[in-house]
Amino acid sequence: MRRRIITLVIFAVAALAMFVCTRLSLNAEGAALSSLQRTARQRRVAPARSSSRATRNYGRFLHESNAHKKLSCNDCHKTPTSNWRTASGFPDVADYPAHDACINCHRQQFFKGARPVICTICHTRVSPRDESRFAFRHPSRARQFVAEFPHDKHQDVIARGGGGSFRPDASARTRFMPALFVATAHATQEKPTQYNNCAICHETNARLPAPPVGGWPDGFTPPAGTFKTVPTSHASCFNCHWKSVEPVRDNCAGCHKTASAASVALDASPRISNKFIHMREQHVAECTSCHIHITAATTLRGLKPDVPISTCAPCHKTSTDAEIVTLEKEFDRRKQDRNFTCAKCHTSEVGRRDVPTSHAALFE
Amino acid sequence: MSPSGTTSSQNLERQVVRLRVRPKIGGETKGLARKRFYLIKGGLEANRNFVEALKQTHMLSRECYYRNVGASEAFIRWLKENDCESVYCREAEAKDVEGEKAVPEFRAAFANGRREFGSRELALKWLTVNLREEIRNGFYRRQQATLDALIKQAEDASKATVVSVMTDRKGTAYFTDLEPGTYLVSNLVPAEIGSKGILWTCELKIKTGAHGTETPFLISNQQDKNVKCIGLEQPLPACEKMDSRTSSFH
Repeated sequence: MRRRIITLVIFAVAALAMFVCTRLSLNAEGAALSSLQRTARQRRVAPARSSSRATRNYGRFLHESNAHKKLSCNDCHKTPTSNWRTASGFPDVADYPAHDACINCHRQQFFKGARPVICTICHTRVSPRDESRFAFRHPSRARQFVAEFPHDKHQDVIARGGGGSFRPDASARTRFMPALFVATAHATQEKPTQYNNCAICHETNARLPAPPVGGWPDGFTPPAGTFKTVPTSHASCFNCHWKSVEPVRDNCAGCHKTASAASVALDASPRISNKFIHMREQHVAECTSCHIHITAATTLRGLKPDVPISTCAPCHKTSTDAEIVTLEKEFDRRKQDRNFTCAKCHTSEVGRRDVPTSHAALFE
Repeated sequence: MSPSGTTSSQNLERQVVRLRVRPKIGGETKGLARKRFYLIKGGLEANRNFVEALKQTHMLSRECYYRNVGASEAFIRWLKENDCESVYCREAEAKDVEGEKAVPEFRAAFANGRREFGSRELALKWLTVNLREEIRNGFYRRQQATLDALIKQAEDASKATVVSVMTDRKGTAYFTDLEPGTYLVSNLVPAEIGSKGILWTCELKIKTGAHGTETPFLISNQQDKNVKCIGLEQPLPACEKMDSRTSSFH
């Protein structure tokens, strides 16, 4: 009997010690977990019951899941996030949603084990003492959305007027924001009036373009600055669409549509005329002078910034200068020699193909 | 991009029209930049009622619109001096928002922006978000409503999709992937040029030819041997009072 009493006392002391240790340990933990627990207590939401949840990967957030699809974007994403000044420099959605956004449904996953896998969606380390998060958006994760952008509408809005259509006395000087591939072309001249154009969203990409699979054909590497960037932030959107012009900041679905398959941003569009150099002084024009389909594009789906031969022909069809390689000369060479490779504009994998009918039509 | 709505790019008869719009402006012939032109299936005869409707469409000049919505003289002057139809045409500068020559609408929007964003730079760059709607994009929306109605009318009549392109700074634009046939090329609403408006309603015939064959099509407001079509030039109408609530005219 005495032995039983001693055993019970030992158990009781041990249990008390464990309880006290746990409490002390919890008190010592970081603010992140405390706030998380407070939130959990406040909400008192029943834990998940679905048995299928046990098999789900809670380390990967899916906007397209049935449960998430029922939510509005701003149920989770706050606009702007509190870190916008340091993260973006303009009011922006620049961070992951706070814990409140998730715990309503995912309380069980938040407290599962010592290192809950759900934390890895946003946090670089699973630790109550470390709140650091991945960059937003996570740079290496596949995109779950594609953007919708009507180029035609935007061209209409920014382009109306301009160029002397209203003013009969307007000078003939270049008054549009040029394609800006030549950084120094106008540097020494008086600054002309700059009109909004494609360059307000598409900046010159100073990086060397990533080579295609298998490397650059003929070893021909387009130099840095050959391509423009594709907007990857809200910088060129929110300056108009912040609060007045729809879709505004919290109407995410106005621009972002869930992708049917995870999409990967291309570093550069596939090119047919690899050797075309934007930076040549003669090639500095408005983007739409050559990329002629852009002003008609109502959507990004199926959009190809291709340049039909028609836009090259006015300058490159013929020449009186014997030294200048023209479409006509290469076309003649090809007629004489089936194996001739057109090399003025194309690298060999394209230049040895059959001449397209669009090219042939130029000489009919 | 086919007026007939089909998408077969493999068809060997799809052709290209190089549209050049070169009106005489202030004694000088030059390309009409950044104007949208529409391609409608069917020629002048087939679209006779539509063309008549175009000619009857009420034109509202930029100046009349902005006066009607109570824009300041300084704002209207800013648009004129910068050759702009709307504030989105170019970014405002510091002198436009502060100082003696500041535009009142810009000054107020700038002040609101500074309060909202706590940054001069951002308030200037994001100036338009604090402009009232009529000033910001009311003219565009009004014109777009007119255009949308006209395009619907044209599509209903021709039973084909209307396609459009915008001229570049040299006044050139391309219609591509076209089937041989007869079309109507028009800007649908008169282009404001100086104190006049020019409306083009031009018949364009595309003959059968090899795929990619380019048809040049020069239009102007002046007769010339290469000009295929001359626009209807009329003085801008006098300003009428517009009901700002309904955007209709008295």
